[in-house]
Amino acid sequence: MLALLFILFAGMAIGCALAVVAQRNPLYSAISLVGVFISLACLYVTLAAPFIAAVQVIVYAGAIMVLVVFVIMLLNVEQEERGRNRLKFLVPTAIVLAGVLIAEVAFMLFSVNNPTPAVSNIGLTSSIGTQLFTRYLLPFEITSILLLMAIVGAMTLARRGGLLSADARVIPGAQQLPRSLVDPRATPDDLRLVETDSTVEAGRLLGIDQRNTQKD
Amino acid sequence: MEPQLSWYLALSAVLFTIGVTGVIIKRNVIAMFMCIELMLNAVNLTFVAFASFFQDVIGQLFVFIVMTVAAAEAAVGLGIIIAIFRNRESLDVDEASILKL
Repeated sequence: MLALLFILFAGMAIGCALAVVAQRNPLYSAISLVGVFISLACLYVTLAAPFIAAVQVIVYAGAIMVLVVFVIMLLNVEQEERGRNRLKFLVPTAIVLAGVLIAEVAFMLFSVNNPTPAVSNIGLTSSIGTQLFTRYLLPFEITSILLLMAIVGAMTLARRGGLLSADARVIPGAQQLPRSLVDPRATPDDLRLVETDSTVEAGRLLGIDQRNTQKD
Repeated sequence: MEPQLSWYLALSAVLFTIGVTGVIIKRNVIAMFMCIELMLNAVNLTFVAFASFFQDVIGQLFVFIVMTVAAAEAAVGLGIIIAIFRNRESLDVDEASILKL
């Protein structure tokens, strides 16, 4: 029974993975990739790892793929045109490496001694949580720092170039701008500040066309 | 017949190879990105299979952390893709061979 399920979901995963590579439209690739994630989640269930299966569906198929599909639609990617074959000299190498891979897979299938799986509770959420918050607390905290860095990095990358110069201070409610920024006649070392009460007013002082900034 | 450990390892190897192939032959940067996700998933399958067959929870903890790294990679990578597209109006990696924006 489990073998039947394995063959079903492994076939689905390989088929969808091939579709990811074969499709020319990135959106179809993304949908196929969701298929790979779902079938892998089913395989995790057969491996007695329900927590990982749930996280796979929620984080991968949910969050990450939504982000990818969002970017594909945002950038309005055109279909990949059938281009020149730039890898001609790599084809023989690929054939040799594919042979090596098939040999390795055959070796694994016939020579790895298979431990017998036993019913256990290692995949349950509680046992993962216990380990994560006691023995492996440091990796968990490092992961949170990594996520924070990713958030800051993504914000920095996706931000359009700043409208104000580096020495301008923007304070919500009352915005204070250096006089040298607003008045061309002011000397650069004139440190008096100009106060504005709203972003629109600040934009007018700086000579930024409101319609242009809104279109961006 | 029960599924053996080697079955999962073989499936993982095949998925990983498909991902590598995609990274090599694709020219659209978003498609390459998705193939990298495929490779990460192949490795995750290996971890879960070993964790299940050797009765050790560390494998699943590692999968958890790999997923976090993948999420961070998605956020930063897509930010970079948007920045490249804004500067070049193209997602072809061959045209982005010069790192200077």
